[in-house]
Amino acid sequence: MAAQRRYALAIDARKCIDCKACVVACRAENGVPLEYSRNWVHEEMRGTWPCLVATFEPGQCQHCDDPACVRVCPTGASRKRTDGIVVVDDTECVGCRYCIVACPYDARFFREDRGVVEKCDFCASRLEAGRLPACVETCPSKVRVFGDLNDPNGRLRKLLATRRYEVKKPESGTGPQIYYLL
Amino acid sequence: MDRRRFLQIASGGVAGGSLASSVGCTKAKRTSRAPERGVREVATTCEMCVNKCSLVAVVKDGVIRKLNPNPRNPKSRGMLCARGNAGLQQVYDPARIKRPLIREGARGEGKWRPASWDEAFDYAASRLGAVKAKYGPQGSLWSSCESFQEVFFQNLALAFGSPNLVRHPSLCLSAVNLAYSLTFGTVPSFDVLNAQYMIMSGSNRMEAFITPDTMDLVHATTERKARLIYLDPRFTVTASKADEWYPIRPGTDLAFILALLNVIVGEKLYNQEFVGTYTIGFDKLAEHLSPYTPAWAENETEIPARDITRIAHEFADAAPRAFYYAGRRSSGYCEEFQMRRAQAILNVIVGNWDRPGGVVPNGKIALGEYLFLPWDDPTAPRIDEIETNFPLAVKGDGAYLKLRENVLAEKPYPVKAWMIHKHDPLNAIPDQNRTLQMLQQMDFVGVIDIEMSDTAWYADVIFPESTYLERQDPIQMLPGLQPVVVFRQPVIAPLYDTKTTLEIAQGLAKRLGASQYFDYTIEQWIEAQAKELPIEQPLEYLKKFGTWSPPGFPQYGSTLSPNHRFVTQSGKIEIYSDRLAEAGHDPLPVYHPPAQPPHGQFRLILGRNAVFTHANSTNNPWLNKLKPDNGLWLNASAAATAGIRAGDRIEVSSKAGSVRMKAHVTEEIRPDCVYMAHGFGKRSQWQRLVHNNGASDAQLIETAWDKVSGGAAMHETFVTVRKV
Repeated sequence: MAAQRRYALAIDARKCIDCKACVVACRAENGVPLEYSRNWVHEEMRGTWPCLVATFEPGQCQHCDDPACVRVCPTGASRKRTDGIVVVDDTECVGCRYCIVACPYDARFFREDRGVVEKCDFCASRLEAGRLPACVETCPSKVRVFGDLNDPNGRLRKLLATRRYEVKKPESGTGPQIYYLL
Repeated sequence: MDRRRFLQIASGGVAGGSLASSVGCTKAKRTSRAPERGVREVATTCEMCVNKCSLVAVVKDGVIRKLNPNPRNPKSRGMLCARGNAGLQQVYDPARIKRPLIREGARGEGKWRPASWDEAFDYAASRLGAVKAKYGPQGSLWSSCESFQEVFFQNLALAFGSPNLVRHPSLCLSAVNLAYSLTFGTVPSFDVLNAQYMIMSGSNRMEAFITPDTMDLVHATTERKARLIYLDPRFTVTASKADEWYPIRPGTDLAFILALLNVIVGEKLYNQEFVGTYTIGFDKLAEHLSPYTPAWAENETEIPARDITRIAHEFADAAPRAFYYAGRRSSGYCEEFQMRRAQAILNVIVGNWDRPGGVVPNGKIALGEYLFLPWDDPTAPRIDEIETNFPLAVKGDGAYLKLRENVLAEKPYPVKAWMIHKHDPLNAIPDQNRTLQMLQQMDFVGVIDIEMSDTAWYADVIFPESTYLERQDPIQMLPGLQPVVVFRQPVIAPLYDTKTTLEIAQGLAKRLGASQYFDYTIEQWIEAQAKELPIEQPLEYLKKFGTWSPPGFPQYGSTLSPNHRFVTQSGKIEIYSDRLAEAGHDPLPVYHPPAQPPHGQFRLILGRNAVFTHANSTNNPWLNKLKPDNGLWLNASAAATAGIRAGDRIEVSSKAGSVRMKAHVTEEIRPDCVYMAHGFGKRSQWQRLVHNNGASDAQLIETAWDKVSGGAAMHETFVTVRKV
């Protein structure tokens, strides 16, 4: 009997070349309308010519251990699954948008056309079919490493055991589960 | 579950043909989860750019839902970029050309009449026939870019009797290809995966994707700590990831390379055994290099002499796992060819040829050929007089700019019909006004395309091609370190009244009295191609997996025997080229300093990004969303001097033309250069996201070409910028 899974993601932003394959793959996979996006690449440029530094940092829902969005959801539509994926149940969501305000990572948006809140769910339906999340699979330079934190032999655990990493806004206290390798 | 396990499952799914039925996270899940009804997976090949990556299309209820990467292709390595993912939008674009169109109003007025295929064929054939009767078959010009069905378009041109075929290379990589061919007798690949030290000039490989080099380069610089030395007047993504970036003065790369050669030869750091065994002309090189010292090069390039010397030492130390990367986009300067030759010579003397991490001749796979009835070769000379103007260039590809100038001058004869295949000359060729003039000079313009490009907008008749997800194409072999065969099959039936290029060629051939040359089907064609592949039931294999790659690659050292005959005049690798001398060119690269922009002017430089291909796909909504406009990159200090602020409306002018656009004030470009993305400012109203949005660089770029290859020199234009 396999142990309970805990899905998480490591992101090696050094490898990100800002090509936006992940953004378009997510749009295609999840039918995200043009006005919104479930994931992004933050581009930052510092310095003056010619002493310049550029960083590209992909991001999405952090699938927190103690998600602020779940805490504030009045209907239970936002919930954390046993495998760690934070999801929004369409049928329960009343579109109050408390979760959008509560999320420290600005990872949620309200879809006017459907009246519900949406966000990254690690492509849960792809996982069920044995596929990686679309953003992970499509990436040319394989910036994202997806896996199960409870699998001691998995690549994710090995990466986190051997590489330094940080999480974003640890002060939020929500226990984000996207690990940014340094 | 880790990624490897996931990939195994994912590829297993493709192998099974039906992903949903054959995979699952666990056994329990597999039994509990029935395959989703109506879901099909089809392995095929992308056409959103030139890389031809393998993909698996997921189709549900007859609609393509998702394009996933196909990890079986070792060249595309299990990735699909933004464009590949946005291929869906090309198929389902409401502004696609859905049926043949015949022009009603004036050219460029945008008034169209839908026509049946018979009517469109009859119309085009009668106009082509009229031109042929009056001017001969050479009175027609046939332009194409590159695509799997291009062969049928070219065959139609040849069967029609025209010598005037012109293709993309003289707007692209003709100079680099010619330089490497004259040196090594072939155009090699660069073993990025195994290199320890790489120098790149402006081929912004982390944005201008070439598979597998782009992925290998990221891997090399992050996982393997290989060194990347990068030269570019812009701070590109590649510059940001390089170990060292030098914002070189544009057009002076040859000075940098000659100085590297000067150090390596002067200090005897070259591979003497390799040079002695495999090359000719080294003795002439040493003397030739004496004026090109690092101190001299510092003055030309603005790269410190100390760094040039150090880089030369490091490069020679790292050889043979070191190379000067050729890049593809070679159409920079009038001296482009010699710059590429110098790169090739640098690679030669450190002995990186055919070695891991070096410069390696391409592996190939033999495909069969369908034997069709041959036609008589055209008798007239080419309109671009390539034989006399560029005697060393590849004749069949033509020299686009010289060709346009000769057509405009009706020299040596008039050309009055222009057939264009999936290619947008108005944006692809420098100096749009002159290309427009050439279009207007035609008695007939026919376009085959999937979208209403600017050139299609000026056509007399448009034949809509089915998109790449709707058609069966010939099998294609991609040469490389790891050669690959890729297969493109229809994922869905055509949504509209569109045809393949073969069907269009057949429709025209029938009416032009040439149908005997097209008496076959695409199925017969691919069967003939496939039967040479050394696998069982090759066609079945390709239909199932979409790609095949032979074992045993990459191969190194197959040319490294003293008796090996290189495909050059001497049979050796040619450092000194007699063929160049005979053709009246410098047999060793001689540096001629490029002109610099006068005070108050800027050099217009071009470059690719990872979300658009050439001038197309800027109207794809998913891609346009990522880069919605093309402001002119202007250095912040230069902008301040000119009194221009970010977002200001500006007028940019050259001798070729003038455009209005937005200023993008940035630190990321040299103060003496400006840059703009390609593919904006479209004339075609069907390109609604880029029509009247931004500006077309083709309106500004002046006519200039590389002397040896005839390739367009697109960085030789100086512009003025003023606030309006």
